[in-house]
Amino acid sequence: MYSLKTALSSLGKNAVMTIASIVTIACCLFLFGVFLLFAFNINYIGEQISEQCEVQAFIDDRVDRAGEERILKEISAMPNVKSAEFESKTQAFENYKEKLEGYGEYLDGMEGEEILRSSVKITPDDLTILNDTVSQIEKIDGVANVVNHEATVRGVISFTQAIKIGSLIAMIILLMTAVFIIQNTIKLSVHAREDEIHIMKFVGATDSFIRRPFVLEGVIVGIIGAAIAIIVIAFGYNAAVNGLTGFLDLFELYTFSQMALPVAGGLLIFGILMGSFGSRTAIRRHLKV
Amino acid sequence: MIEFKDVTVIYDNDIIGLENVSFKIEDGEFVFLVGRTGAGKSSAIKLLTGEIKPYAGDVIVNGITVNRLKSKKLPYLRRSVGTVFQDFRLLPNKTVYENVAFAMEVVRAKKKDIRRKVPTILSLVGLADRAKNYPNELSGGEQQRVCIARALVNSPAIVIADEPTGNLDVETAEEIMKLLLEINRMGTTIVMVTHSTKIVDDAHRRVIQLESGVVVRDEQEGGYTSDVLA
Repeated sequence: MYSLKTALSSLGKNAVMTIASIVTIACCLFLFGVFLLFAFNINYIGEQISEQCEVQAFIDDRVDRAGEERILKEISAMPNVKSAEFESKTQAFENYKEKLEGYGEYLDGMEGEEILRSSVKITPDDLTILNDTVSQIEKIDGVANVVNHEATVRGVISFTQAIKIGSLIAMIILLMTAVFIIQNTIKLSVHAREDEIHIMKFVGATDSFIRRPFVLEGVIVGIIGAAIAIIVIAFGYNAAVNGLTGFLDLFELYTFSQMALPVAGGLLIFGILMGSFGSRTAIRRHLKV
Repeated sequence: MIEFKDVTVIYDNDIIGLENVSFKIEDGEFVFLVGRTGAGKSSAIKLLTGEIKPYAGDVIVNGITVNRLKSKKLPYLRRSVGTVFQDFRLLPNKTVYENVAFAMEVVRAKKKDIRRKVPTILSLVGLADRAKNYPNELSGGEQQRVCIARALVNSPAIVIADEPTGNLDVETAEEIMKLLLEINRMGTTIVMVTHSTKIVDDAHRRVIQLESGVVVRDEQEGGYTSDVLA
């Protein structure tokens, strides 16, 4: 009770600095949250691109129906194969005609078996070991050749990795900035109460007792800053996603409610941790009496 | 009981604060610590409150070897040692009552005990009618009385008074001295650092004189010798 009363009174006395800190912390956590949302969505888009990256194993024309069944079974049993689907020559021809949309009629009268091969369409589990899977498929008897979009997949992987690392670095810088700001707010508060701390030490107050109001002060600043950031992000994100509709039709983005728990929870936890850490380091020197 | 056993203090800049200092102060004694500025009085006081640690030797307070005490335990030692400062160090935004109560609050005393004990202590130091005043509304002597009340409120066995009359006029200094002697009569050990010849000469109490970090005189009912100057 003493700690809470002291913390609130101190925040009130340094109102201007408190407000400035809360606003700055809110800005830092807002940007942190934006990077977090960005990282989540980049990951999500990466997953969607990966899912679209099928590997297609074409089967030799000389392989009979039983051979085709065998190849499908062998591929399905491979460890990195999420799903495998057989496409006969006729199906392939029909699908090709569909892809040509209005121009499919030019192919009327032709037989699919004459121009296309049957194949197995494979969705891999882990794109990072795709090369090994492709080599294994190529070794299966009756497989003529394997087509995969390895370059595209690698590009997607390295792009999402780079974005993730970039976001992580930006987030660390933002957190360090926020800790620095909280530290300075608490330092002002410590400075204003230097005599009080000194007296407390001499009459036998424990370090944790002296520290508690300052830590509480930092945590309150962190929580209020985080709460503001969460509210702005919640409203801003949905508006931004609505604004991007049409522009980003190719991919699906998360809705805020899908990410609300990790984002809001993360910001709140970071707010509390920063407040606590910032104030602890700010007062440390003053406790050495 | 306070005991210094072959205590040597060396500061970071190689300056010797105390050198092989040994003395014993029994419970209930009133001892003046005198000597020139830089003689080692502050070092001795700082050792008693655990502010500094000796380079060699042991400092024992109430049976506890202070220099071997873990920093976490230091607050509990300080609760048994009250400190009176020359510059009072009162909190300007708190009333007399709150300043004294503050010393009890921070050691987590019960509210009931605070309400009972603070008025008693304020009466003892003659400030019962000034409880609601702020420090800036008090004279120097009254402020020092508040400081003494604050040092006494947690019932310490020892009170360290670091030049408590240094900022006061002669008459007020005498009043403060009377109060300290009265507290000592009630059983509290008092170690008082002073530069006042008159106070020491009038009190006829034990005097430990330090010079260049060494005890040069330890005299029962001694006076403030003329060769020791501030």
